Amino acid sequence: MNLRDFNRVLRETLLLPVLLLLALAIFAAWQIRESSTALEAIDRSDALTAEINELQRLIVDQETGIRGQQLTGDPSMLAPFQAAAAPVNKHFNHLHQALLTRSDESEQPAELQELAAARDRYQLWLGFATGVLNKDPAVVNDPRMNQHGKELMDNVRASIDDLLKTETKVRKTRSASALALERREFVTLIVAAVMVGLMVGLFTISRLRKVSRAYDEALEEVKQQAEEISERREWFETTLASIGDAVIACDGEGNVQFMNAIAEQLTGWPLRDALGHELAEIFRIINEESRQTVENPVEKVRREQTVVGLANHTVLISRSGAEFVIDDSAAPIRGEDGEMRGVVLVFRDVTESRRTEAALIATEKLAVAGRLAASIAHEIHNPLDAIANLLFLLERETERSKRGEYLEMAQQELNRTMQITRTLLSLYREPKAPVPVDVKDLADGVLLLLERRLMQQGIDVEKLFTEPAVVEGYPAELRQVFTNVVLNAIDAAGKGGRVRIRVLPVAAQELRSAGVVIEVWDSGPGISEGARAKLFQPFFTTKGEHGTGLGLWVSNGIMQKHGGYIRITNSSDGDLRGACVSLYLPARSVALPSTPSQNVA
Amino acid sequence: MRVTASPLILCIDDEALGLKIRKAVLEKEGYRVLTALDGSSGLNLFKDEPVEGVILDYYMPGMDGGQVAVAMRQQRPDVPILLLSAYVNLPAEVVRMVDFTVLKGEGPNELLIKVRRMLNERQRETGDEGFS
Repeated sequence: MNLRDFNRVLRETLLLPVLLLLALAIFAAWQIRESSTALEAIDRSDALTAEINELQRLIVDQETGIRGQQLTGDPSMLAPFQAAAAPVNKHFNHLHQALLTRSDESEQPAELQELAAARDRYQLWLGFATGVLNKDPAVVNDPRMNQHGKELMDNVRASIDDLLKTETKVRKTRSASALALERREFVTLIVAAVMVGLMVGLFTISRLRKVSRAYDEALEEVKQQAEEISERREWFETTLASIGDAVIACDGEGNVQFMNAIAEQLTGWPLRDALGHELAEIFRIINEESRQTVENPVEKVRREQTVVGLANHTVLISRSGAEFVIDDSAAPIRGEDGEMRGVVLVFRDVTESRRTEAALIATEKLAVAGRLAASIAHEIHNPLDAIANLLFLLERETERSKRGEYLEMAQQELNRTMQITRTLLSLYREPKAPVPVDVKDLADGVLLLLERRLMQQGIDVEKLFTEPAVVEGYPAELRQVFTNVVLNAIDAAGKGGRVRIRVLPVAAQELRSAGVVIEVWDSGPGISEGARAKLFQPFFTTKGEHGTGLGLWVSNGIMQKHGGYIRITNSSDGDLRGACVSLYLPARSVALPSTPSQNVA
Repeated sequence: MRVTASPLILCIDDEALGLKIRKAVLEKEGYRVLTALDGSSGLNLFKDEPVEGVILDYYMPGMDGGQVAVAMRQQRPDVPILLLSAYVNLPAEVVRMVDFTVLKGEGPNELLIKVRRMLNERQRETGDEGFS
């Protein structure tokens, strides 16, 4: 039940009783009006009876007046007789009118008849009495006359009595019916009131039940929700606690609120000790090389309001002093309003994997040297052989000009040897910071080292570069990448195959700053769909026992370090249908000064 | 006649300077020397000239030393071949096919000893043939 339903129920519960009570009041008012009508009728009856009595009194007064005058002969005795004449008439008329207007009575015709009879008889008596008054007293005193007058008056009285009786009967009937009405009204009102009461009661109960049911349901729902929330909370806590990476959660001020077991293990702080402490105290991180404290990730997240990763070579110093190379990220915890409520830190110990990685990189470096060894031996032995021969000749030669010629040739061959050894050494000797590297020279140097190999395989190399193309970087690493790529192209092209190398400076594009792109095509079979996805994974090789499977993986790492990339596609060139490797290097290197571990003297 | 005339040696190597110097060394020792910078021109000389011994480089553009040796053996199997290489791991079948091998790092004395032996053996063989 929502609030609208609840309000509706409240309105219903208020409105229905009010309506019912209003109906009851109207009904009661109607009943009262009914009974007052009945009482009015009784009043009218009483008034009628009183008027009839008054009429009778007036007629009696008249008779008495006449009799007094007859007995005393005093005309003043006639005064009441004369005074009553007009009111009697008036009363007769009035009564007639009253009876006529009273249409609801069953006795009306009888009463009208009786009134008419009384009036007739009174007129008769009045006529007789007036006659008597105008005659002489002797006649008046005649007993027969008196008798007649008395008879007439008796008739009048009898008629009026009849009228009175009938009216009394009418009043009685009215009174009885009024009483019955009152009783009926009383019962009806009681019944109506009881019914209204019952209805209001039942309705209210039903509404209340509905509300209470809804309330119960709401309570149950709230309880269920609370249970669910608590279950979910437990679930999240268990998940966080059992996650394989270390997790630390902080509040908005950067104080530790939660740590899982791995985090406890790596920092050396149990949660109960760390709780409420500042993160910087628990999570002490420094740069592996500089040993300088690294910025607290909570601060960084607060400042940048977004997910941040740690710089490479971050070392966590645990409470016990043990050091772990870690890889981590920190993210803001936001409330529903988007406000930052805290920071969550996820990190892992990568000491082992860093060591393995370093070993793999070293392995690959050696493998590249191994692949070059035969070629290098050849390159060095050729000039050395020439020099040995020249020394042999010099020993035996006495002619000055010849000796000069031999010495010059020996110098030439020595220079060549030194150039080769320098190139070889530069594979290993690395400056500490990026230096300008001419990609063209670099390509030439690598091709020089590989010359024999190319010759042996009978591979035709098309060199599409003449202009210097300078980028910033680590020459030995770049040479390693280039050697790798060209060796791959040679392997792919096979005996009598072709390789094309192009170096072209590129202008800045939307996602790429200005730099140099080196493209290496080969006439080999290209790369299969299946192999393409795995090209940059360590230990993936298409060369069986002859490959370490590390070349492209390391090359990719080196290119990324320089802010460049390596992409391998199948060529769409009609001429060279093999693989095409694109190497992009930005003119300005993003690589940081290199680490001592990467410098092999 | 054959004994007194200095032997004619064919030298094949793609290293022009090295070849020139080697020629000078051999000539200093009294040999006559023909040179070729690749396998096919070497084979042409081999066909046209009365070559008595061959000093052959292994790594060369186009035909390598092994292929050149095979072609020479097909034409004149009696001419001895000395395989001269800077490379240590030469294919076994190539080593079996030639008469001598010399590493470039071994120096001119070693080369000259092997050349002398090669020509002596040939002389003996041809001499035997001549006398039989």
